[in-house]
Amino acid sequence: MTSISLLLRKDLRVLARSPALLAALVLYPVVFAALVGVVVRYASDQPRVAFVDLDHLPETLTVGGQRFNVPRVIGQVKGSVDLVQMSEAEANRQLSTGGVVAEIVVPSGFASKLRGMVQSPRLVLRTTQGGLSGRVEQQTQALVYELNRKLQTAYINANLRYVHLILEGGKGTFLGDEFDVLGLAGAARALDEIQRTSSDPAVVARAAELSNFVRQARLALGASDESLHATANPIELQIDNKAGRTWLLSAQLQAYALGLTLAFICVLLAAAALAAERDENVIGRLARGPVRLRDLVAVKVLLAVLVALALGLVIALVFGVLAEVFGVAGGEPWVRLPLLVVGLALAGAAFGAFGALVGALAKEARTAVLVAFLAALPLVLLGLVPEGAARAAWWAAHAFPFRHAVDFFQAALYDTDPWGAVAHQAAWLIGLGLAFGAAARLSVRRLLS
Amino acid sequence: MFAVAATEDSPCQRRRTLTAVLLSARGVARRYGRVVALAPTSLEIHSGEAVALIGPNGAGKSTLLSILAGALEPSEGDLASAGSGNGRRIGWVPQRPAQYARLTPRENLDLFARLERVSDPVGTADRFISILELPDDGRLTTHLSAGNQQRLNLAIALIGQPEVLILDEPTASLDPRQRRRLWEVAAEVRERAGAVVFATQNLEEVERFASRVVVLLDGLLVFDGSLEEFSRSPEADVFA
Repeated sequence: MTSISLLLRKDLRVLARSPALLAALVLYPVVFAALVGVVVRYASDQPRVAFVDLDHLPETLTVGGQRFNVPRVIGQVKGSVDLVQMSEAEANRQLSTGGVVAEIVVPSGFASKLRGMVQSPRLVLRTTQGGLSGRVEQQTQALVYELNRKLQTAYINANLRYVHLILEGGKGTFLGDEFDVLGLAGAARALDEIQRTSSDPAVVARAAELSNFVRQARLALGASDESLHATANPIELQIDNKAGRTWLLSAQLQAYALGLTLAFICVLLAAAALAAERDENVIGRLARGPVRLRDLVAVKVLLAVLVALALGLVIALVFGVLAEVFGVAGGEPWVRLPLLVVGLALAGAAFGAFGALVGALAKEARTAVLVAFLAALPLVLLGLVPEGAARAAWWAAHAFPFRHAVDFFQAALYDTDPWGAVAHQAAWLIGLGLAFGAAARLSVRRLLS
Repeated sequence: MFAVAATEDSPCQRRRTLTAVLLSARGVARRYGRVVALAPTSLEIHSGEAVALIGPNGAGKSTLLSILAGALEPSEGDLASAGSGNGRRIGWVPQRPAQYARLTPRENLDLFARLERVSDPVGTADRFISILELPDDGRLTTHLSAGNQQRLNLAIALIGQPEVLILDEPTASLDPRQRRRLWEVAAEVRERAGAVVFATQNLEEVERFASRVVVLLDGLLVFDGSLEEFSRSPEADVFA
């Protein structure tokens, strides 16, 4: 047996004899997956928003002859935010203390302006500068969009009644005033009569021109129904609810659970295992002959790989079984396992090499664990930053294996055509593993002092 | 490589006037930043010698022994060991035991025997457990007494059949019987034309077991001579 395999076997034996550490290794992925789930759940949770009705909106509102059930329309928004009705003073107080993240105010005169259909009434949104304000703004915009969508039908129907009045003539009302309209049809009939009865050729010719214009205007206005609806909705979004994976079994959650677990456990384990060789005063005995320092680094990287494979496969197994039990679609949890194994090994090696570097620099196992945790935490958080949010952070995340590991796992588990993404991320993981491994090899001499 | 060793009248030195140089340190020094733990020091260890390294705490004894053992890289100077292949086999018994706490003594011996490429690792482990009366009841090394841990430390150093045995205050945690056993084992190494280098604060051990004395003071080698020379030197009064 080579010195690498002998020391690796020793490390695994020592690991198996540390019940607390072993328990942590088993529980860690489970707890982490649950925590990620809570975060995801919280991220999709409804922010609490105050609803202040200064106009005392009626139960039913008639706009353009169409009746609206106001509580029902507002209730539809409650799906995206937790809308709580309260007084303006209370809403202001809660907004300042963080009880609500925003308040939507319906000013007095809102309903009458809406019924009048002349001026656009305004809803007022007050938000804080907190992290959720952007999201509430989006939700409120969605609310206004939803209200406008419902109101536009009433507005279009009212406009079409006016168009019909212009076409056919009759009695109309505007701002409470009644009036008679001849209409284009009546105008056409009058012009026809002038042409028949008039003996003045100039009048007949003029009437014929007007009659021609009226005919064209009637044709054009006759098509206004469809064109008004089309103008109001240039593009319509059709939403089909389709059965798919819940957040609990989503590819993203599984990839993040794998990435987070490996990022912490492999880094901490490799760092502590390398520094422990010095703590046990053994590194001098090893380095003076039986074991080369580069082999010692390789042992710790391999230890991280083995642990990554074991934990990663357990997580994949749990997710796969749950997917089978609940019959959820959208992935091939079993077929892609070989590809996942490759990703786990590469990610474990890259994280392990980083951990070995930390262990070599920290020198003592306790310091190494602390430094490894403190280093891994912000680097993982950087990996969670979306590309568009903070470009510098997003690029910095590329220097740590977490982002690449997560992308590899996502592609490996659920992409229809994963090879491009897998090859790209594998190249990153190999490159980072080699770079950290080389740095660890250079730094490991520090353990001999 | 051969050299003429000092020809004073110590019993050890009388035995050999023409001895092989087993280990040679040339100008080895160790610095930690601006702190000099060991000033440039040259030393040759000859076959059959028992070299006592003495000096007050912090004099640089452990640093010099670690460098001689190859467990610590010198900041400057070099270490040469004559012999074939990777050089002379050196057994190192550091002051703080160097073994895996969460392995049993047998597992430690088996592991280091395999790392040293001993032909029969299982038999070797059996032999040292018997010779040094090590516990073999499945207890982890961390649960052993300080004396037992120190004997395991010695056993691991002896596994590769070293030609030079380097001991850093080896008897500190041993009872009188265990001390006798340790010096018997050290004598066996010398009998095989090897050498023993040991650091100690105990002048009685120096008088009984050393053939040569090296004195370190504040990282400087201030005396290197036979036991008789040492007994006549002013340094002996300092440590008396």
